[in-house]
Amino acid sequence: MSAKKGLFSIWMAILGIIILIGLFTTYKLFTTGHVLFNTNDVVIWSLPLGVYIYLALASSGLTILAALPLVFGIGKYEPFAKRLVFLAIATLCGAFVSIGLELGNVFHMIYIMFSPNLSSPIWWMGAIYGLELIVLIVKFGLMHKGDWHSGFSKALATASFILALVAPLMIGSVFGITESRVTYFGPVMSIYCLLMAFMSGTALFLFYSLIVNKLNGNGVPTELYDEFALIFTYATAVVVGFTLLKFAIESATVVPEFLAYHQFEHAFGAIRGLHTEVLLGLFLPFVLLLFPAVRKSVGGKIAASALILTGTLFMHMEILLAGQSHPVGPKAEQYPEFINYFPSIWEFLVFLFALGIMLLLYSLGERFLNLTEAPE
Amino acid sequence: MPRYAMVIDLQRCVGCGACSIACRNENNVPEGIYWSNKITETVGTFPNVRYHYIPTLCNHCEYAPCVRGCPTQAMHKLDNGITMHDPKKCIGCKYCEFNCPYGVIYFNWKAPHQFWRNKNSLLKGGTASPREEVKKVGAKKTPYENPERGATLPANRSKGVVEKCTFCDHRVKKGLLPRCAEACPANARVFGDIKDPNSDVSKLLGKFRPFRLREQIGTNPHIFYIRGFNPAQYKQTKGGI
Ligand code: SF4
Ligand code: SF4
Repeated sequence: MSAKKGLFSIWMAILGIIILIGLFTTYKLFTTGHVLFNTNDVVIWSLPLGVYIYLALASSGLTILAALPLVFGIGKYEPFAKRLVFLAIATLCGAFVSIGLELGNVFHMIYIMFSPNLSSPIWWMGAIYGLELIVLIVKFGLMHKGDWHSGFSKALATASFILALVAPLMIGSVFGITESRVTYFGPVMSIYCLLMAFMSGTALFLFYSLIVNKLNGNGVPTELYDEFALIFTYATAVVVGFTLLKFAIESATVVPEFLAYHQFEHAFGAIRGLHTEVLLGLFLPFVLLLFPAVRKSVGGKIAASALILTGTLFMHMEILLAGQSHPVGPKAEQYPEFINYFPSIWEFLVFLFALGIMLLLYSLGERFLNLTEAPE
Repeated sequence: MPRYAMVIDLQRCVGCGACSIACRNENNVPEGIYWSNKITETVGTFPNVRYHYIPTLCNHCEYAPCVRGCPTQAMHKLDNGITMHDPKKCIGCKYCEFNCPYGVIYFNWKAPHQFWRNKNSLLKGGTASPREEVKKVGAKKTPYENPERGATLPANRSKGVVEKCTFCDHRVKKGLLPRCAEACPANARVFGDIKDPNSDVSKLLGKFRPFRLREQIGTNPHIFYIRGFNPAQYKQTKGGI
């Protein structure tokens, strides 16, 4: 027991250091400015925004998964519900850290409230995720107090589910309604984001729970995890299908922007013309999950979910960067035809800070909030 | 209320860049940022080549994607059609820059006019440092800054917000032309009220078939280009096989 306590203290100390570094990063960004990022007026949004999309979508996926017991009343999943809601909150906090440090002037955020623009998908995205965070925190508080099934508690669960469905659509529309960047695929991007949200949320839940179970030696029935692994396989299958369709359209079209996009070197390399991150981070785990032996083994689940979690981040980054790879209009006078981008150390530190906050919350929650309890 | 627009006569434009220099001076535009810019293009294969030059600026679109997407209405439309920015409300999300189909918005990645913050003089005790020079002339950021710009927008924007052409709204308010139009030595830029059928803008648009940049995406840009500079002659021909 004391060895475990010792390990926990070391872990907390590591997270403490990460958070101190994160605070220093915040200070540097506010004083020096975003010139610290390897961005410019062509590659405008970079790693911190990719991390935001990644974490925010995963948080929505976790909330959607939590709806199985909390909204649709599938009782056998109740032992997972509290953890799912908590993970969704913590992951969303990580997402907010990342986007907060991406914004040029976070103090002007009050104007989101005082001068809202209802035609802006960014406004809706911020409002919906903000509201979702509040709803999830209140819902978690009620569950923690033992109120799982009161009318109010159920209404909150339903509200969080609806918000979690709409938020990814909004993230997608931030890109999708950009007339000048057709490679973002218009409204299709919203559907893609929703599918990615569910897949990555499920991957995060499986990966996290199985690791924690291993560390704590918790005995949760393995059949239930097998069922989650099956849900995960279906979610991955849908994303695989969607991605193939996207590839087919991309390669068949002769719309000039897409032709320019083809010239863009795949950000993370390609194997036989296919994006590496898609092959290794989506197709490979999907194939692995098709084998029942892999799907049913703890190691197989962890490997597949780890691959998807990594692949998803790279896929978001690839899409984000590919749409900004060439200068728009007169900016071509100032910048080369295609822009290379690799994150600066400060961008990596923002990522680390977001992860640090998320992991700190996960660890404290796991330790003090009894995340596996279920109603009587 | 007028609706302002600009006609750029490409036959008159000699590509001298006076508009861009004047804009820079008028609006205290920092290094690396262009409110007034250009698209250049070389076409053909040597020796049959031509160079095209299209001056660019914010198109003050009627259906401006930058305005539609801005979460705080920092980017907004004025009644006279000008697309205006309010840095006080800008959260620096850069969505307008991402959204603008014309590449005319820039972000202040760092505090502008860094050179003039330097406290070191070239010859200690001899020459003034850039910072001292700014102080001596009683300016804030650069010794050559135009304080009149500050009437409707901070004369110098700060880091963390975007900026772009405002059609010199501060001058237009006083009945003056945008500085680029005034400075153009070839009178290639014609500014005016497109709603007034007697304005020079309206007359030119009735006389020549204009084109606008990326018209097909439905933003209704209000920078119109007419004619094209081409002194080339060629022998009449029907071609051949
Ligand atoms: S040109 Fe760009 S910045 Fe200007 S109004 Fe149109 S969309 Fe906005
Ligand atoms: S960067 Fe500023 S002006 Fe542009 S969309 Fe964001 S808040 Fe609006």
